[in-house]
Parts: sequence; C-alpha cells; structure tokens
Amino acid sequence: MSNAMTNTASSQPKMKQHMGLKASRTIGNTLIYIMLIVISIIWLVPFVFIVLQSFRVESTHQVGYVMPQVWGLNNYTELFNSNFPRWYVNTFISALCTCILQTIIVLCMSYTLSRFRFKMRKPLMKLMLILGLFPGMLAMIILYRVLKDLGLTQANAVPGLILVYVASSGMGYYVSKGFFDTIPKSLDEAARIDGATRAQVLYKIILPLSKPIVIYTLLTAFMGPWGDYVFAQYVSNNTAAGMNVAVGLYGWLSQDQINKKYTMFCAGGVLVAVPVTILFMCLQRYYVEGVTGGAVKG
Amino acid sequence: MASVKLTNIKKIYDNNVTAVHDFNLDIRDKEFVVFVGPSGCGKSTTLRMIAGLEDISEGTLEIDGQVVNDLQPKDRDIAMVFQNYALYPHMTVYNNIAFSLRLKKVPEDEIFERVNNAAQILGITEYLNRKPRALSGGQRQRVAIGRAMVRNAKVFLMDEPLSNLDAKLRNQMRAEIILLRQKLDTTFIYVTHDQTEAMTLGDRIVIMKDGFIEQVGTPQEVFDTPVNLFVAGFIGSPQMNFLKANLIKGAAGYEVEILGVKIPLNAEQNTVLEQKGVSSQEIVLGVRPEHTTVLFDNAENAIECTIDVNEMMGSELHLHLSSKNEDKIIVRLPTVDLTQEQRDSLTYGNKLYITFPAKVMHLFDPATEKSLIDG
Repeated sequence: MSNAMTNTASSQPKMKQHMGLKASRTIGNTLIYIMLIVISIIWLVPFVFIVLQSFRVESTHQVGYVMPQVWGLNNYTELFNSNFPRWYVNTFISALCTCILQTIIVLCMSYTLSRFRFKMRKPLMKLMLILGLFPGMLAMIILYRVLKDLGLTQANAVPGLILVYVASSGMGYYVSKGFFDTIPKSLDEAARIDGATRAQVLYKIILPLSKPIVIYTLLTAFMGPWGDYVFAQYVSNNTAAGMNVAVGLYGWLSQDQINKKYTMFCAGGVLVAVPVTILFMCLQRYYVEGVTGGAVKG
Repeated sequence: MASVKLTNIKKIYDNNVTAVHDFNLDIRDKEFVVFVGPSGCGKSTTLRMIAGLEDISEGTLEIDGQVVNDLQPKDRDIAMVFQNYALYPHMTVYNNIAFSLRLKKVPEDEIFERVNNAAQILGITEYLNRKPRALSGGQRQRVAIGRAMVRNAKVFLMDEPLSNLDAKLRNQMRAEIILLRQKLDTTFIYVTHDQTEAMTLGDRIVIMKDGFIEQVGTPQEVFDTPVNLFVAGFIGSPQMNFLKANLIKGAAGYEVEILGVKIPLNAEQNTVLEQKGVSSQEIVLGVRPEHTTVLFDNAENAIECTIDVNEMMGSELHLHLSSKNEDKIIVRLPTVDLTQEQRDSLTYGNKLYITFPAKVMHLFDPATEKSLIDG
C-alpha cells in the first residue's frame, strides 16, 4: 500500500511536466491558428468584397457600403452584351495554347538536359540561367517591332501573344529537370533495350512517373497568360478585339467608364477567377508535390 | 541465339580516360561468358557497349556476323538484366514483362501466353498484378529476369544481377540462373565482381583489370593455370598465398628454395622452364590454401610457421600463419580428423609446419608479375 503511494507520489512531478508540455503545445497551436485565421481573413476580404459587388444591381458606380441593397445577376448578364466574351475567349485560347505548347517544350527540354550528354549542355544551362535573370520587359520594344512586322498585333494579338509566351519557355526547365534527375537512368536504359525509342521512353516511362511535375508545369503554363497584363496590353494596343480579360477589364476602370462599368468589372473579375480556382482545387495536391518534390530532390 | 565478336574494342571517355583497352573476344553461340574483375576494371562498360548504352570509341562489335556498332539498343535484339532491377515502378509485374512485347506490337493473346509462361518458370505467377514496390528483392530480380526472358533475344546480358541480394538469396538465385540458362539455351554475358559467381556460372571467364583482359579461360583453366599474379590472387577463396622464394637452376634441374627448404620441381615444370631458358632468380611462389598440408610436427621439407588467427568455418578451419620471413600464409584444415588436443593447440603464437608438393606451386616473376610456367 505504502509502496503504491510512494509510486504515485514520485510520478506526479512527471505528470505535471507532461501536462505542462501538452498545455504549452496547445497554447502555441492556438496562437498559430489565430494568426493564420487573421491572415486568411485579410487575404479573403478583397475577394469577398468583389463577389458582393458583382451581385449589386441598385447602382453601377462605387458606393460607400459593402452589402448590396438589391441582389441580382444583372451585372453578369450585362457582361455578355459587352466585349467581355471576346476577351474571355482570347484569354482562354492564348492560355490553353501556351499551356499545351509550353508544357511540351519544357518537358522535352528538361528530359534532354537531364538525360543527354552533349558538348554545350552545361554552357547552355548557364546561359539560360543568366538570360533568365534579365526582366522580360527589357525585350518588350523589340518584341513589339517583330510582332508588328509579322502582323500579329492589335486584332491579331492572340497568336502574337502565344508566340511571345511560348518562345522562351524552354528556359523554365529547372524544376522538371530536377525531378527527372531523381528518376534512375537505368529505367531509360531498360526501356531502350526493351525496344523503346527515346520519345517512347519519355512518354511511356518518365512522364507517368512524373505526374506531379507535369501537372505543375501545365498549371504554371496556364496561369501565366491567364493573368498577364503588361504584354497583353502592349500587343493589343487599344484594340478591343485583341485584348485579354485583364486588359479589357482594366479599361473599364478608366475615368470615363468606371461609374458605368464598376460592378460589371467585379462580375468579370469573379468569372476570371472561377476556372483557375477550380483547376487549383482539383490539382493542388500535385502542385505542392511538384514544387517540393522538384526542389528537395533536385 | 547468336555469337558475339569483339575486335579491338576501346572505350575512351571525353576526358581522355581509357576505360577499356583493346578488348578482343569471340563469344560462341549459346556460350555463357562471365566478365569478372574488381570495380572500375571496365567489365560493366564493355557490357554496356555490347548493349548499345555506351558508344564504342574504337573497334568493331559483331552480333551474329553483323557489325552493330552504330545500331540503337532497340535494334540489337539483346535482353539485359540490371543490378538495380530497373523495373518500371508505375506498371504491374505483368505490364513490366509485357512492355517489350507491346512495343513490338505482338498480339495480346500471345503476350498473355508468353508472360504467363515466363512467370511460371520463375515462380512469380501470383504476383503478376502487383506493382514492383510490393515485391521483395528476390522477387523483383525474378521479374527483371522475366522481362528479359520473354524477348527471346539473341544475347542475354546480365550486369551484376545478384549483388543487391542477401547472401542466402544470392546462392539460391545463382542456382536458378544455371537452371534458367539450360532452359533458355541462348548466349549469356554475365558481369560480376564475385569470383564465386564467375566460377560457378561461366563456361568461360574473362578476368579484367584496369580495362585490360588479364586472362580468358574455363573456370578450371583460370584456377589451375593463372597467367599472372593478379589472376592467381583474384580467383579462389581464400586467395592464393604468395611467398618470397628463390628459383635455383641446378645440375639435376630446377628447385625452389624457400626459408632453407628446397623443393625440386617436377619433370613437366622443368621442361617448360628449360624451354623458356629461365635462369636462377628471385620469384614469387604461389600456393593455394587448399593445396597445403598442415603438420603438427616438423618433417623434412616442411616450413615452420606461427599461428596468427584461427577462423572456424564449420567443416574446416582457416588458419592465418606467419612464416619466419613475415610472409602471411592462409591454410585450410578440415576439422573432421583433428583430435581435441590438436584443436586446442591451434591458438595464437603456437608453431605449425606446412608442406606442399611441387605440382601445386605457381611460380611468378616478381618484376613482370607473369607466371614463369603458365601462359
């Protein structure tokens, strides 16, 4: 009996220590969660604001309150009577084409740099790294001249933009090359002996093993043109038929239009965000794997 | 099924390192040839050149009389098993084995038949629907072999296929490869650094060092008549003992003098040395551990040694001895005939006597490291 008593007595400080650890961990977690919640609220406010504005039908200009007084879909239906569908299609086509072409180029480039050994391989990689350090804007003027000579500006801006987006995409090889480097070379060799060509090795062996990086590449390639403003604005050069959503919608915020188009601008903004949000929600698992996988293993 | 002929094959890397020098070898149809040597000796490089995974810098490679130097691996009709198995992780075992057949556009029902046939021979039928990661090392190796088997390729290449397995499994798989070889009845080229594998598997062994072929021969030949110190030391386990000795040419013929003991050479050895015109000189004397006789008491022509280490191997003892002039000698002593008293005496520092007959002696020139008699 007394033995048991001393036992409990001696284990009490340990218990206390244990409780203390647990408690401090709980407090720590709570603090972190509170911070995260506050940050996410700050992040979400503009989005909520825009969504609310897009459903406001009592007036089209900016107002001093947040909750709409009259709710409705007028702003959305109005969008279809404007240039918006054209801009949307422009953006979608340029993003989709860029997405496909850029992914193909990046993956082929990465595979080449990862697997082939040729004389200028290292200098080429260094050159691309250095070129990548210059801001893309530096090339804007010459690019505009070239596109203009090719007749790919203003109303024909979409193919021009695709060309600009895709042209330098090989330089974005880092992440996927890092990922490919982690796949054993003997798999390539086994497949080649089994009768596969280099191309078959890439799409039958390497790509199925690199799903995260393929999806990561697709997503980033889609996102770039989808949200691009500067180049799109420059190349479309005030021609509505060649604008993408970012340029078109921004035009509605100009002095003479803002009071008529403000709520439509918000509705357009929501429609722009929807496909990207859905894409991300479906594929975010791969996206994170792609970024971290490539970075850690590469 | 095909012959493979390598003529003056060289591999020179971009940084001017020569990995393989002037490799000449004729591999007959259905022959099992083993390339063996320490790591970095060029054996894998040679195999990869045959496979087409490495460019051939110089020389010609013929498979079945056709020069294949510039053919892609897929056009050479060879099958290969890799050390790390190289199974496609995203495919099931069935698809792994079927991969090459699908690329060749073989009809599905024939693929089914061939894959199941191979799986049956290798005993992996129940795993056909599993992914490689759900298999043990031995099972993965079987899948890798199965993948090579279904090809019915002209030449079967194996690059250290057993070195990732544990010792017990390795012995088992070694026996299975011998069986498989009988079933497939094709040309095999097998790379290993393990001389036991080389001895047990090969019809012929190619012993390599630093990119050069040191000796080519049947397991018995390379064991009995090693042409140089390297081959003598590489083949056989425990390795051959090398002792400093003198070759003396006397009126009655040649004799070897070691630590005051004189051992006359036999007629055959005398003839060869006579023909080569070898005179009295210092030599390195090679004697295999299994060819020495251990005596507990001194006798005529016995060499006195002291015991350093006594390793118990079960059926025999490996005794590490030192001779009077500090040569290290390993001898094998079967335990079955030893009395308890004799066993107890085999401890550190005690004296032992060893003898060996002339016919088991290998004589090497210390300068050229070449055998004075063989080769």
